[in-house]
Amino acid sequence: MIVAERKPFDEIKESIQDYKKVLVVGCGTCVAVCLTGGEKEVGVLSAELKLSQKAESAPAVFGEATVQRQCDFEFLDEIKDIVGEYDALLSMACGAGIQFLAERYPEIPVFPAVDTTFIGVNKDVGWYEERCRACGSCALAMTGGICPVTMCAKSLFNGPCGGTNQGSCEINKDQPCAWYMIHERLSKQGRLDNIMKICPPNDWRNQTPQTLIQPGYEERIESSK
Amino acid sequence: MNTKQQNDVETIDMATDIAVIGGGYVGLKAASQISENGYNVILAPHNDTDVNFSRLNVPSTEIDRLKALEKEVADNTNVEILPASTLVEATGVPGNFTLKFLSADTVVEKKAGAVVVASDTAVNPLNHIYGLNPAANVVSLSELENLLASEETKKEIQTGEKTVAFLVGFAHEGSPVLMKRILNSVSEIVGLDGCSAYVYVNNIKVADDGLERLYKQCRDNGAIYFKLEKAPTVKQENESLTVSFHDPVIRKDIELNPDIIVYEESLTADEANLCLAETLRIDLGPMGFLQKENVHRLPVSSNREGIFVVGSARDVQSLSKSFADVDNMVLRVKQLIGDGTKSIPAKAVVDREKCTICLTCYRCCPHGAISWDDKAIISSVACQGCGICASECPMDAIQLVDFTDDEMADRIKEAAAVTAANTPKIVAFCCQNSAYEAGLAAKAFNYELPAGLQLIKVPCAGKIDIHYILDALVEGADGVLVLACHHGNCKSESGNTYAQWRINDAYRKLAQVGIEKDRLEFATLASNMASGFARIVIDMEKRIGQKKD
Repeated sequence: MIVAERKPFDEIKESIQDYKKVLVVGCGTCVAVCLTGGEKEVGVLSAELKLSQKAESAPAVFGEATVQRQCDFEFLDEIKDIVGEYDALLSMACGAGIQFLAERYPEIPVFPAVDTTFIGVNKDVGWYEERCRACGSCALAMTGGICPVTMCAKSLFNGPCGGTNQGSCEINKDQPCAWYMIHERLSKQGRLDNIMKICPPNDWRNQTPQTLIQPGYEERIESSK
Repeated sequence: MNTKQQNDVETIDMATDIAVIGGGYVGLKAASQISENGYNVILAPHNDTDVNFSRLNVPSTEIDRLKALEKEVADNTNVEILPASTLVEATGVPGNFTLKFLSADTVVEKKAGAVVVASDTAVNPLNHIYGLNPAANVVSLSELENLLASEETKKEIQTGEKTVAFLVGFAHEGSPVLMKRILNSVSEIVGLDGCSAYVYVNNIKVADDGLERLYKQCRDNGAIYFKLEKAPTVKQENESLTVSFHDPVIRKDIELNPDIIVYEESLTADEANLCLAETLRIDLGPMGFLQKENVHRLPVSSNREGIFVVGSARDVQSLSKSFADVDNMVLRVKQLIGDGTKSIPAKAVVDREKCTICLTCYRCCPHGAISWDDKAIISSVACQGCGICASECPMDAIQLVDFTDDEMADRIKEAAAVTAANTPKIVAFCCQNSAYEAGLAAKAFNYELPAGLQLIKVPCAGKIDIHYILDALVEGADGVLVLACHHGNCKSESGNTYAQWRINDAYRKLAQVGIEKDRLEFATLASNMASGFARIVIDMEKRIGQKKD
């Protein structure tokens, strides 16, 4: 899932200070699962905003809405009848959702309430760890299911480097060495020969915005153009 | 909110087979009594027992009765025995547990309506603490009991006119259960003509029925107690034994040469408990026993409905107390399973449209009441209605039938709107098991209470959503109190803990929005603490009243 964290309250407050009617828009998928931007957090953030404006003579009005996913136009449509009542939108979705909300309602300023941090896993309630950088060319087949791009400080495709230190990374003793872990995993699976193969360099095309069309849907997309 | 499901009474088929884990005396007793009450039993003795059943830690006086029970259970066609088995997986809910046992290298799957855990205690000899090596004349308490149980060896002790020294309470704190066994042996020794008993003892644990009497009776019959603060020095040279110590009564150093030394043993939780707790998703209590120190769990409850812990599974217990546990457990099983159908209203419902299946509820539920298909499912039988899940759900997809978010919002609005001239408005969220009762009592006893105080009843402090706290302040409350049960006294084990965590989170949030910390307070109470309640609310009134002026 995509993991995000709430922005500092002051930053959120400052970004919307010129607006009198703000709709806080939550997203019911990834950011809800990581307890950052679902319906509960929408309620909590708007309560905080209301409290911070209590002393003001004319406090702003805060509305609340949560859609299933802000990365789908169909779900964004569900708030079309109410967005007109507001002069700013405060999105609690990931960066993709925030942009899609802004694209769907281009006439209204949209502000982010969260920082999108990584693609990660859920270790326990409220505890997430990064596992993927969305680099666009997955090496996990060769590396025993451990991502060197994410887990190695140098994102080495052919490691380890000289800084590996008895299972730890040279940058920090608490940071495991990705290539040590890869070696251990492959060794356990009897696939250690994988580590001797040269892993080709990554295709860094993903430095420009990418589009993915699933092969089975190419004709559908073509016909709708 | 899924109003359709609200107030629906679900009729549930309950499996009438009951699984008993542990094949010791208590496990057998449990199997026998459950079966007497018309339920089928799946009896799963531990895989480390040589035979089907364990005779660990059973007094020699009980062996005949135990043998009879073993035979009765083995012959009982309503008891299915899975020899030498280990529980490897447990899923499902009360009335419909699916259990997988590894029994004699095969995985056996069984359905059970309820699970009874009756693990034995482990017996640990403590000779090493005294620097003693086990020998013919240096024996553990259990070994002495065996010697005394056999007429032949008992006679040997008698004809040898043996002096027996007992080392008690220097290697560990001990317990009345052990003290009783020691005193019984002492009693037997002094009852043998020509034999005598020295008891070197630290604290004499007599907090059980008849133990004080037994202690005196041994003394009257000639046993000599040396009540010492530290262990005597014990020398074991070939066959000769020397015990030297300073006698605090006659204030002299004394050296004695007993013929036999009996060293103590400790009783500890079965090591299997650790795995059982994990597999059954029940709390591990202190010292590895399967019950938390929480008064609401007594006598035989675990944190999960339908999983009961009896005898040594939950504490070091005497046989008679363990049998009382079995009686209690049978009552609970009958209450839960009945004749196999149960009609029960849902306490919490999941809005399946909103649920994003993040598993937060599953991970937070202290009662193991939540599972999932493509959405979260709350078992009506297992759910205790604490509301921890509802307050943690990031999509507000779970509603307690009696405390919906909409009703709570109305109640908060209403409470925060009540005004009393020139006094602060205080909204107190009160757990109905403690603080709410204390609040009502404070009113009934005419304690001085703030005029602007409003109580909001919650089923458990775990239901107090951070949103409610902020909302109360938004709606105009000057102060908010979150009043929970004392630590270790929460019916839902961790409702008060969740409330405390949320308060800490709320403090961070309030600091950011510029609201003083002292407008929010967390405190714990018991239901009889009317004056404590009054003091907390009056203190808050004074504190925030000053700010108001």
